[in-house]
This record gives sequence, C-alpha cells and structure tokens, in this order.
Amino acid sequence: MSRDLRTERIQQERKQWRKDHPFGFYAKPTKKSDGSLDLHNWTAGIPGKQGTIWENATYPLTISFPEDYPAKPPKIKFPPAFYHPNVYPSGTICLSILNEEQDWRPAINIKSLLLGIQELLDTPNPNSPAQEPAWKAFSKSPEEYQKKVKLQAQQYKDKV
Amino acid sequence: MAVDSYIKKMFGEKSSQFADAKVLLVGAGGIGCELLKDLIMMNIGEIHVLDLDTIDLSNLNRQFLFRHKDIKQSKSKTAIAAVEFFNYKSKLYAYHGSVLDTNLFPLSFFKQFNIIYNALDNLEARFYMNRMCLYLNIPLYESGTTGLKGQVQPIYPYLTECFSCVPKETPKTFPVCTIRSTPSKPVHCITWAKDFLFSQLFSNEDTNTQEIDASEFTNEEEAEASKKEVNELADLKKIIANEGDNEIVIKIFEKIFIADIERLLKIEELWKSREKPSFEQIKDYDHFFKDINKEYLTTCKDQSTLEEILKTFASSLLRLTDRFKNNENIEFDKDDEDTLFFVMSASNIRSLIFNIPTKNEFDVKQIAGNIIPAVATTNAIMAGFSALSSVNYFLENDNINRVVKSKMVFDSSSTDKVVNSSKLIKPNPSCSACSIVKGIITIDLSSTTLGQLRDKLIEKYNYGDDVEIMTLDSRLLYDFDLEDNLEEKLTNFINDQTVLLINDSDEKFDLIELYVLNSQNSEIILPELNIPLKKIKPSENENDENDDDDKLLVDNEENNDIKVTVSLDDDDDLVEEQPPMKKRKF
Ligand SMILES: [Zn+2]
Repeated sequence: MSRDLRTERIQQERKQWRKDHPFGFYAKPTKKSDGSLDLHNWTAGIPGKQGTIWENATYPLTISFPEDYPAKPPKIKFPPAFYHPNVYPSGTICLSILNEEQDWRPAINIKSLLLGIQELLDTPNPNSPAQEPAWKAFSKSPEEYQKKVKLQAQQYKDKV
Repeated sequence: MAVDSYIKKMFGEKSSQFADAKVLLVGAGGIGCELLKDLIMMNIGEIHVLDLDTIDLSNLNRQFLFRHKDIKQSKSKTAIAAVEFFNYKSKLYAYHGSVLDTNLFPLSFFKQFNIIYNALDNLEARFYMNRMCLYLNIPLYESGTTGLKGQVQPIYPYLTECFSCVPKETPKTFPVCTIRSTPSKPVHCITWAKDFLFSQLFSNEDTNTQEIDASEFTNEEEAEASKKEVNELADLKKIIANEGDNEIVIKIFEKIFIADIERLLKIEELWKSREKPSFEQIKDYDHFFKDINKEYLTTCKDQSTLEEILKTFASSLLRLTDRFKNNENIEFDKDDEDTLFFVMSASNIRSLIFNIPTKNEFDVKQIAGNIIPAVATTNAIMAGFSALSSVNYFLENDNINRVVKSKMVFDSSSTDKVVNSSKLIKPNPSCSACSIVKGIITIDLSSTTLGQLRDKLIEKYNYGDDVEIMTLDSRLLYDFDLEDNLEEKLTNFINDQTVLLINDSDEKFDLIELYVLNSQNSEIILPELNIPLKKIKPSENENDENDDDDKLLVDNEENNDIKVTVSLDDDDDLVEEQPPMKKRKF
C-alpha cells in the first residue's frame, strides 16, 4: 500500500496549470458549498480551434481522478449525448492517451490531455467509433455532420 | 513458586516494572483469551480488555475462558470474570463495544496506555488501531493467525514497519469485469457461479439489485454485453419457474456457456492480450445431456471428467429447479449439497471454457465457503510470543533499544521448524499510514478561524512561506486560491476528530497529519513533531510507473539495514531469517 500520491499530484497539477495554461482553456477543482475545494473532481473547458467548425465555443468537461491516479488516467467526460464520433453516449471520450491499456502514462499532465482532446474535436479518429449518430453522419453525410456540430457550437457559444 | 519470584528469576529486577504498566488488549477471542492469561501471568498492573462480540457456541472449542453457560454474554466481561480466580495482582477492566466507535473510545481513551496488544480478527480494526497508535506514538503488539499460520509484529511508530507498511492480502473482491468477462483463476469462476449465476437463477431477491455499474468496466461494449446477460437471465428465471422440464438444462447451458461466451468473443479488445475462451473442451456436451436425471453420479465430487462435471450440473440444476418451484427460498450454503454442486459444476464448465484448472468438491467448498479454520494451538503460540516479545518494552529504557531487542515472529514455510523470527524492519518510506508524521491538535473550533490556525502552524513548525490545509478526504480548505476562507471559523469546515493534512507550499517539509480534538476555550495546542524533509516530489515521480507492489517490496528489502547486532542466545531454536517478502496473510 503506498501513500496518497493522488492528492499530492493533483496539487502539483494545479500549481503547474496556474503557472502555464493554453489560452481559452480552464481547469479547476469544483467548489463545495462550505467554500472548500473537492480536489478529486474538476471541471474544465476546451475552446474549439479557430478556423474549424468547432470555433467560437468552449466545450465543458468533467475530470475525476481515480484513487490510483496517476498510475491510472483521470476520467474525462463531455456532457452526456455530446455530438462527436469518438465520444460515447455517456460522454466518455475514446482517446488512446486516456486509456490505461493504451497510451496513458503517469507523466502526461492535464494540459497535454486537454490539448489532445481539443485536437480530437476536429480530427476524429475514424478507427474508433463510439456513437452511432455522429459517426454515421461523419462518414456518410458530411453536410449533416457539419450542421450538427455547428448547432452544438451554438449551444456552447463563447460569450463575447 | 509464587508468580512474583518466578518472573523475577526469568526477567530480573526490572520485571517489577510490569506492575506499573497499563495495557490495552483489543479483542477477547481466540488470541485474546490466551493473551489475557499470559499478561496476567506477567503481573501487568492494569489490563483493559475490549471486545464488541458476544460468545457463540462455535467459540467454545478454542476460546478456553468461555463455557456453555456463557453463550450470548459479552466476551470481554466474561473473560475477565473467568480469570479472576487465578489472577494474582493485575487490575482488570472490561469494555463491551467496537474499537471503531469514537463515542465510546475517543482518541483520548487510548492515550492512557503504555502498550496496546491487538488480538483482532479483521483488517479494518487492525488498520484503525495502527493509525491510533501512530497518532499517539504508542507501541502496538500486533498478532494474527489463519489456520496453522500466524505472526506477531511489534510496532514502534515511525521506527519500525507498521501494519500498513506491507501490502496485505485482503479477502479478495475482484473487479466486476474479471468475474464477468475475463476470469483467469478458479476462484474467479467460483465467484461468478456463486455470486452471479446462482443468485440470478434462484435467489428471490429482486434482480434489480444486480444492476450493473458501467463504470466498473473499462470497456463500454463489455458493460453492454453484461447488461444484456442479466436481462436474458431474468428470462431464464421465468422459464425455470414456469416450465421445468429437462429442456431447461439445455436451454440454460446454451445460454450461459455458449451464447454469452460468443458475445464476449466478439469484443476483440478483451482478447488482445489474453487467451480467448474456447468451446473445445466442452464441445461434446449434448452427448452427456441425453440421459440426465436427478440422481448424482457416485463420483460427482471428483469433477475429474467432463461427464462428471456436466451430469452434476444437470442433476443439481434440476433438483434446485424443483425446490424453486416449491417456493423454497434457496440461498447458497456450502453444506447444502444441491447449491454446492451447482456452483461447483457451473464454475468448472466455465473453467474448461477459459482453460483454467477445474476444482473438486473439497476445494470448491473451501473457496466458496470462505473457510479459514481457527486453530487453538496456533492462537496460543502466537499469543505467547506477543506477550514474550513485549517483555523488551519493560526491560529496556528507550524505544531505540526496545526496537533492537524486539523480534517479529511468523510461521515458517519449511517443514523442520514451526516459527521463524526476524529483526524489526524500518518503515516503508511510501507507507500510506506511517510515512506521514502524525499528531494531535487540540483546538477550539468554534472560536478559531482558519487564518489563525494557518498562522500558528507556520510559526510552530517554521514553514518558510505558506501552507496548504486539506482534510484526509481531500477537501482543500486553504491554499493560494482560497484566501477568502481564512476569515471563516473552523466549525464551517471541520468537526471534532477530523483529520487535517498540512502541506508545505515550498515543498521543503513533508506532509503532516493532525487529528483534531475539539476543546472549548482551549488555546491551539500543536504536537511536538519531527517533520522530515520531503522525500519524493510528485513531479519527480512522474516517469516512474511504480504502481506495482513488487517494487515497493524491493525498496523495502534494500532499506532493511538496521545496523544492530542482535544477541541470538535467547532463542537458539529460532533461526534468524528475513520475514517472508510476500504478501502476508492476516
Ligand atoms: Zn507504515
């Protein structure tokens, strides 16, 4: 049994993030009603890249850190029914760096994970379909796909 | 010879110190009864005995202080009453209650003792007492037995390995996906047959209680497949209830051993790094189902041939079906032949599919019934070593020397000796319990602000800049982002008995853990602590995938260099040996 590396690492991540994080992103522990912070559950937001159909919106995520983090990856989710070929109906993201049996390494920090997810938004992985609607549209009717994605971008539109 | 002079002869003049000691014995069961007798024979001044249990018929064969008339009475109270007639000098006190109950036994209760002896039968209470002793810096004599195995471990907080330093082989619960989709050991198949298949088919409990938590599966397809299985099983349950002819055997067999497995086979992810299940070993099943009946084969307990396995499955299934249709409420019971044979044969069929060794009736009964026999002799031996080992506490003047003299005792794996002893080992530097220095903070929560606490901490422990204040369950109360909280009274965040974690913002000092005792009108009283420098910064640990236990154990071995010479003449028949560097059973 080893000591609680999870909390120590999460505090480390917070400090790193505070010092240096990409423009337009946010990531922070959720606040409880008494004013304290729940370090194991965070909320985050990822901006869609400019010049893509995802632009001008910030997509919300929840991050929860399992007990054996960082040996195991954090669980990162979009809201349920999020429209993207590689996002399961539950909101779980199908991405190799988030999978402990694939490319997750304890050295990967929150910043790299969120940048990886931003990248995935406009470049879906054709080899790992996770939901029917977005997957079908993406591979068979690009116009419908673009329309739906833009509709979703409206929903998460940045307030100017 | 009077006990006094006998003890003097054995342990010398200092043995008179036994009489000044106040000790706590946690547990008055198998080991506890023995230990109580031993401690009385040592003339310990005060012995406080704590146990939450009452006496059961099954205890009487080994818990020798109890008689038939004592059944249903409190163990601790009965035990001290029983020893009264041969008690020479010790003052005895009994407490009936759970050691985990902080109302009955707050931290301040434990504070009064010189030594605490654990004679417990469960890990939860052991881990708890280990923590309490770390907060209070009290030596803990830990002992335990399983069958013919046993061990005694003296724990001197922060100086020697504590109870949490070495990973324990806990009574296993397995990940759902291992049981449902990817078994690799007989016990996985037995657990599946007993806790899943049997209860799904025959238990009267609502099948909704078996709701699947998708988060337990890493693979969403797998979770879906599992959900489907449960729904279809509910259908089979209806068939069992309504039809009940021999067709059922085939239907159920083909559903759970063919269709469900085929579904799993389709999830290719699962088999990338594992051997695929295969029907090769059971492919002739219909041949054996041609003439099935409700009488068991005489050799059915062997489970050594496919015929024995399949026919036992068919017979037990039909017999249970009959009982089910008679509205009997069937629970798994290792002594109920039908339920045992069903679980045994179903798990063996599954084992054949997953290429896992099959198990006979004797083995399945042990595994499914969770049987660990308690042996009176082992208890007596280990209790004796626990008492004997604690003699060093009285004979030596300080903890350093006590550590040097004390021994750990554990069962031997070789056949020519019963027990081994070893020197005490240094704490595991990444132990979840003792690698963080602990103490008690006395504070008035209703009048003190978080800011006042922070200032006091910085002043007392010479933190360079600032601290972070967390609770043990990882609520962050204060750090650079939470200045607003500093004005708040502590009652807003924490209670009496909350555990606080204090981290140095400069990352120079290691974490400390403070147990909160709320005391009205009290000043803030902080413990004297020796806070070590931070050993591993989490950032340096990033490239290091040390999530496996082996590595920790190796570290431990390397650090096992307590530089002392230990005189061996007091235990000629014990061979000095390293403790087993495997997961020890408790
Ligand atoms: Zn420890």
